[in-house]
Amino acid sequence: MNKLFGYVLFFLSIAIAVDAKMFKADEFLLDNGLRVVVVENHKAPLIKQMLWYQVGAVDEFRGHGGSAHLLEHLLFRGTAKISGDEFNRIMEKNGAESNAFTSYEVTSYHQFADISRLEVLLALEADRMQNLKISADDFEAERKIVFEERKQVVENNPASPFYERLQQMLWGTSPYGRPITGLPEEILSLKFDDTLDFYRKYYVPNNAILVLSGDIDVATARPLVEKYYGKLKSNPLKRELPASVTEQFHQQLQMSLPHIATPRVTRMFMLPPRKELQDKIYAYDILSEFLGGGETAEMYRDLVLRKRIAVSVSTSYNYMTRSNTVFTLSLIPNTEKSFTPEYAITALNTSLIKARNALTEERLEQIKRKISANMVYLNDNPQTAASWIGYMLSMGFDLNEIQNYENKLNAVQLKDVHQAFDELLQASDIIGILLPSSDIRRDHDE
Amino acid sequence: MNKKKIFKLLLTVLLICCTLLTLYQRNSAIDTERILQQSVLKDKTFASHVQQIEADGITAYLLEEHSVPIIALNFTFERAGTAYEPENKQGLTLLLTEMLMNGAGDYDALQFKDISEEYGVRISFSADTDDFDGFLQMPTANVDMGIKLLTSTLYKPYFTYDYITLTQNKMQTALRNNHEHIGSVLADKFAEIMYAGHPYSRPAIGKTETIAGLTRSDLITYMHQHFTKQNLIIGIAGDITPSAAKLLIHNIFGRLPQQPQTERIAAVKLETTGAQHYIDFTAPQTMTRFAVKGTHRLSDDFYPLYLANYIFGGSGLGSKISKVIREENGLTYGIYTYLVAKDTLTLLVGGYSATPDNFRKAQEMLLHEWHKMGENGVTEQELQQAKEALIASHNLRFASTGGIAEMLTAMQKYKLGIDFLEKRNDYLREVTLEQVNAAARKYFGQIPDFVIVGKQKTKQEEKK
Repeated sequence: MNKLFGYVLFFLSIAIAVDAKMFKADEFLLDNGLRVVVVENHKAPLIKQMLWYQVGAVDEFRGHGGSAHLLEHLLFRGTAKISGDEFNRIMEKNGAESNAFTSYEVTSYHQFADISRLEVLLALEADRMQNLKISADDFEAERKIVFEERKQVVENNPASPFYERLQQMLWGTSPYGRPITGLPEEILSLKFDDTLDFYRKYYVPNNAILVLSGDIDVATARPLVEKYYGKLKSNPLKRELPASVTEQFHQQLQMSLPHIATPRVTRMFMLPPRKELQDKIYAYDILSEFLGGGETAEMYRDLVLRKRIAVSVSTSYNYMTRSNTVFTLSLIPNTEKSFTPEYAITALNTSLIKARNALTEERLEQIKRKISANMVYLNDNPQTAASWIGYMLSMGFDLNEIQNYENKLNAVQLKDVHQAFDELLQASDIIGILLPSSDIRRDHDE
Repeated sequence: MNKKKIFKLLLTVLLICCTLLTLYQRNSAIDTERILQQSVLKDKTFASHVQQIEADGITAYLLEEHSVPIIALNFTFERAGTAYEPENKQGLTLLLTEMLMNGAGDYDALQFKDISEEYGVRISFSADTDDFDGFLQMPTANVDMGIKLLTSTLYKPYFTYDYITLTQNKMQTALRNNHEHIGSVLADKFAEIMYAGHPYSRPAIGKTETIAGLTRSDLITYMHQHFTKQNLIIGIAGDITPSAAKLLIHNIFGRLPQQPQTERIAAVKLETTGAQHYIDFTAPQTMTRFAVKGTHRLSDDFYPLYLANYIFGGSGLGSKISKVIREENGLTYGIYTYLVAKDTLTLLVGGYSATPDNFRKAQEMLLHEWHKMGENGVTEQELQQAKEALIASHNLRFASTGGIAEMLTAMQKYKLGIDFLEKRNDYLREVTLEQVNAAARKYFGQIPDFVIVGKQKTKQEEKK
């Protein structure tokens, strides 16, 4: 009875939601090319500002790995108008949580604060787009910090060499195969002037997207954004992204590392970029949910619950990129049972192929219901919408498509997912196995 | 015009130019105070009203907020955390947090998870050393399903043999993986050394042999002993009225037994003496956690120490130790201190990691700053700035519905009063410089004990 009632409720909510947009959001463009998106959320007097520069680790010169990330750090070191540590002090004084991150394709600076402080956030973020002023000493100190950051965040994890090697094999000579942090020797050899050149070239309003999410509307935001960002000079910029990977390959990586207690098995598939796949990305997204999205997914049922070969199976599909999209299967074997890499790979592959038969109309509809039911949470914390929308815009989605995300997923048909499945099995791939050092058998010892 | 006159004129022009330039530069610095004063947004205000409601003898805090159709419920069973497990049943609480999601009432484990996801109902359980916590969140339209699922798992969990075995396997894997990363090795060793002989010293996940020995009846017994009305705290937030919230409490918690069958564990005896406990481990960095005694939430020392800690190591990049050790010297990616208030132990804790070369330098600087703090405390200006910062960030706690529900639970656990949110900024404003510096003397006057994991470099090796 209850279940039936739930379904009725569900269809009612769909009927209401058909034309509803996911966010109360709108955008405008400044004369200098800065693209601005405002997302309304009035539950509390809060604002998230995120400024997304369309530049990241893939734009670095070869051998200069880590410069995009080091530059991100340097933006907290002062400008001609806000000297030294003043930036952090002002942010703190205004109760703002302030941070930044660098990825392969974007560098994002963001603050979360009381709405009454918005103008200070706008003034300071706009100022450091073009007025950076730092000393050689600051540069040296910050270079040491990012070196320690790589040690702490990446290298302290004993599994990191395995995942960095996998990334490198998957992408070959493409910059996407290099670590975002840069290699330790690259960090140590970065030059002050090179980093500043990078700043001057890419940090311009016409290469950035500003997202304001929270207790604000376009009518209030527009004059304020004009006031602080409007006077920044634009500079024509032609960003050339690395070519996507087209060659076919099927590779395997087996690595033994010290301090590893439990083996890991990973299979990564290289798929075409979104500009080729178009709406097919939504079919892959649903396929990922079906195969490994949580503890009811098909491969979890098969390998964890039925066969007891693994203690965890998961999948992910990364389409938040302008280059090849990547589909990843990950498995942690159940070592309470006997384990060999060969057995785990065979089990993973058999389970993957077998899963196709379980993909029915009924399961597809269930996945769509799950996705729809959880959409409401995107409008809870204003920071969630800011990150999500900012990232998608940076990857080339337009606001209309973001607003239609749920509809796009609901439009996926069973044949689309089956087709995605078949294409996935044909795609280039790498199988990676990470083993504890003591598990090295003689024939694998190099 | 002779040359002298031209020279004089030029000099005058130059002087004027210099003055103008200086003036221009001064004016061009961004005056954030003025921006704030003149901002069109400066008068935006916000009122949050916490209500106390009651049903079946259970009281709860509620904060209504109807703009997003989400309801969140956070609840805590006090004295039901890992420190309350029997000595030979370590890992039981963690097993229970997982097993409550693996089938109950009308639904087996797969159905339970499928239906939760289909209705956007999010249920989760967790535990710390003291308490067992539960969380329920759902879209307003699906509140009945949320109540049904949580109620069934609290009263009719399946605890099947199959899922117990599977979860034990997962825990054994996680236990082994805990030895992989320097950070988790440090966390375990810190508890083991600092709380030696006390239940807090146990690893939350249990030990290989205790995990293997856990049974279905252990789970059932633990729930009956610990899931009761008397040790229950509830926070509710979001799109729900007081009357609906009362009904929700009645439906979910109304049938719980009255009294828990536990007694509070003994207090930890802690006296730090500057001990340095080294654990040898091969990793790129050396990592430490250090501590002295702290103070409990309702003590008169709390706000003064809270402010002192904020200035010293609690405020992130702007803190004293971060400025010296990270920003000026680049010795670490992050260094921080924070206050811990457990039921029977309070601490002032800190931590950082650095490559072995930098580790000892950072430690020397840290101890130098620490002793300076104990002797001189902070300045009036530092205190004013800290107060301003903490007051200005007050509203950030209202960002998510779930976060608000958790805060309401914490307010009751620490007995902060129903008016805490209105009064909190005044509590901060009223603290004097003398109070902060007395707290600095008392707490930073202690010498911290260090637990250090990594490769130790001797002074001789450093000189090479």
